[in-house]
Amino acid sequence: MKRWWHRWFRTPKELREMGVVGINMRNARFLLPNNPRRLYQRVDNKLMTKALAEERGLEVPKTYLVVKSPHDVAVMEKQLGEFEAFVMKPARGSGGKGVLVIDHRDGDAYVKPSGSRLSGAELCHHAENILAGLYSLGGNRDHALIEYRVTPAKVLTDISFQGAPDIRIVMLHGYPVMAMLRAATKESDGRANLHQGAIGIGIDLATGLTVRAVHHGNPITRHPDLKSPLIGVQIPFWDKILEIAVTCHEMTELGYLGVDLMVDEAKGPLMIEVNARPGLAIQMANGVGLMKRLMPVVERHRQHPDESSVEKIQFSQTHLKAIGQSAE
Amino acid sequence: MSSKTRLVFSVLLLCAVGLGIASYKHFELGVPLKAGRKSPTWLVEAKVTFFAQPDVPTIVKLSLPAAAADEAMSQDAGSSEFEYFSDSGFNTLKAVWSARKPKEGSQSLYYRVRFPDRIKTGGGNEEVKGTSPIAESPGLSGPVEKAAQKLIDRSFAVSADPDTFFTHLFLQIAKESSAQEVLILKRHYEMVEKVSDENLLYVMGIDLLRMAGIPARLAHGVRLDPNLGPQKAFPLIEYCDGSNWKVKNPSQPNVSLRGDNIFVWNRGGTPLLEVFGGGENSKVTFTVIRDMIPLENLNRLRDSSFLLSTILALPASERAVFRYVVLIPLGAFVVVILRNIVGIPTLGTFMPVLLALAFLEMELGLGIVMFAVIVAAGLYFRFLLSSMNLLVVPRVAACVVIVTLLMVLMSLISWKLGLRGVLQITLFPMIIIAWTIERMSLIWEEEGKRNAIMQVAGSVAVAVVAFLFMNVPQIQYWAQYFPELLLVLLAAILLIGRYTGYRLSELHRFRNFSES
Repeated sequence: MKRWWHRWFRTPKELREMGVVGINMRNARFLLPNNPRRLYQRVDNKLMTKALAEERGLEVPKTYLVVKSPHDVAVMEKQLGEFEAFVMKPARGSGGKGVLVIDHRDGDAYVKPSGSRLSGAELCHHAENILAGLYSLGGNRDHALIEYRVTPAKVLTDISFQGAPDIRIVMLHGYPVMAMLRAATKESDGRANLHQGAIGIGIDLATGLTVRAVHHGNPITRHPDLKSPLIGVQIPFWDKILEIAVTCHEMTELGYLGVDLMVDEAKGPLMIEVNARPGLAIQMANGVGLMKRLMPVVERHRQHPDESSVEKIQFSQTHLKAIGQSAE
Repeated sequence: MSSKTRLVFSVLLLCAVGLGIASYKHFELGVPLKAGRKSPTWLVEAKVTFFAQPDVPTIVKLSLPAAAADEAMSQDAGSSEFEYFSDSGFNTLKAVWSARKPKEGSQSLYYRVRFPDRIKTGGGNEEVKGTSPIAESPGLSGPVEKAAQKLIDRSFAVSADPDTFFTHLFLQIAKESSAQEVLILKRHYEMVEKVSDENLLYVMGIDLLRMAGIPARLAHGVRLDPNLGPQKAFPLIEYCDGSNWKVKNPSQPNVSLRGDNIFVWNRGGTPLLEVFGGGENSKVTFTVIRDMIPLENLNRLRDSSFLLSTILALPASERAVFRYVVLIPLGAFVVVILRNIVGIPTLGTFMPVLLALAFLEMELGLGIVMFAVIVAAGLYFRFLLSSMNLLVVPRVAACVVIVTLLMVLMSLISWKLGLRGVLQITLFPMIIIAWTIERMSLIWEEEGKRNAIMQVAGSVAVAVVAFLFMNVPQIQYWAQYFPELLLVLLAAILLIGRYTGYRLSELHRFRNFSES
């Protein structure tokens, strides 16, 4: 029921009834008890995450180069010679800060997906900033990672403006609880951050079909720039994606985490990064309070603490599917 | 569950201890819970420091306020090694400390005087007892004497009695500071008598008064301003108009001393501090504190062992520092509430507390304006720097230099414009501001200027709330006289640490939330 105050706020009671999880709740009930501090470095350092993932046989974007020192920066351009497109990111970055995507080259210049051009010196300066810790947690010295640039699958480029859409899966105790696709818009400038105007698209865990899309918190059905339909899109390789997510839980041992993936046109789903503090916007994209998904998992985990990954996926797909889907 | 019981237990324990001590102090020792508006008391502490030579018998004499004898004052003296007694002679009062074999090293002796808020300065008229004093001629000669005589004649012509003569003489010296006579006199005292610059006016003034036949001598006063920190006694002149001794400030000859801002420490012409025997490098500094509780309750508290639970146990010079230190937890508490319950984004978790502390020392509106100007200008220069592709640490260091220069510049400009308040700009934590600028510029580039400005505005808003909270007199009073209540604050912070409800900002953030 629509009330007059819904234009400005919701009462705590209303939010609680919908099972919406707030930051304090996420931290106190899910993050702090399930994510011991010592495990954070496994996900805060992307180099380490990638190494762990490769150990488990997960597909990740190929690392071209790791820039560790000013000397590495000096020879970086020469070593990059053979690669037409690549992504440079800080090993300890967070929230997409400091990520630089090079789409192709034009003579000596590097061209970003938006079309703006970078000189070699600017590219080196970006690497130096990363090394100095500008984008890293706590401002510590960092390494720059240069890796394969994902070419997103056609289905996904159809619903994203310029930037590559990524898939976020939130997990508790290894059970996928919620999933969304983040698609860029003109407004978000190729980025996938929802508060910068990207679209959050909820995905049904059971089928991998998109069920709902929100832009600035408001439900929409078509992409604001591309006008393509956003609902009912089938995410390719959905079962594989869920398997990758569960493996990420096993290799990091984090109880509560978010796994980010991209689907490459040629290589299929690739694990991009694992986040130990996944945000809450995923609830808006799905139109479901996280609590409604987390509580069954907490209960299940208490009763069956040693389920296999296949059983976990099965539980999530049967018990945590989207409401609209289950009605069918 | 066990962590929850532990939390509840800790919270109850902290509250019980904090409130227990506070109520004991209130009910048994009579420390009022409310900040007394009627009868605040002043505490003036003289701290004598000197370097003692080993095993040399040493005597330290400090002149005391004559007013101490006749008013409802409480006084005490502190020292670990030295024996103390007070010596009241004819019209004078002295504190005398002595030791036969003092340990080598620096020594400090304290003498504290407490008195209620009052009108009198201790520098009022004092009737001449016995024979009237006679002005001794200072014995000037030659051109110096002639210059002095000219000055005196001029003032004499426009005055009617010793009081108006005093005023005119010093007004004349101030106004005609480059007149020939004044220059001759000044040079004489500087070169021949070797009087230091700061004492020149007083020594010269006393001589001139004596030459004019008015008995005069040196007195010392303390400024009743708790914000000054440790201060030196400042010289005053005491003169006799025939029947009364009066104290005046020659730097402000036309303003009579006021009891609410000056306390005359010693008069009667005796030296302020004398050290005999093995004391070197001796000096006396004064610290002034305004206590908000009545004198008799203060004394009862001092006699009980619960003195330890207040910062009253510290020497006044250290207490002045703690006045702000005890406020920091309050600021941290405000930050906790505004971040975890309200949900205001800030740049750096406790940066607003530092900002609020700076605001406490200046005027709030002016403080915000100065902060905005510095950050805006700093940001402008930061963007100029960014085109130079500097490494991060040098860039922030450059920002620190620029912020410092901006502060100097703003101080100079405002000084010229006569805005004294802006001088307090130096109270801003510069390094923090430089980092704020750096992080703001990053957010500006990464997430747009709207986010950057929102976060800085959030920080300032939190700082203002923290300032308003810390600036409540009642809150300051509790922090100073009932610091055990900080335990209750700690309990509250622990409780908020377990708060799992929504932040107020989330009620807004999820306003569009609808179940699909």
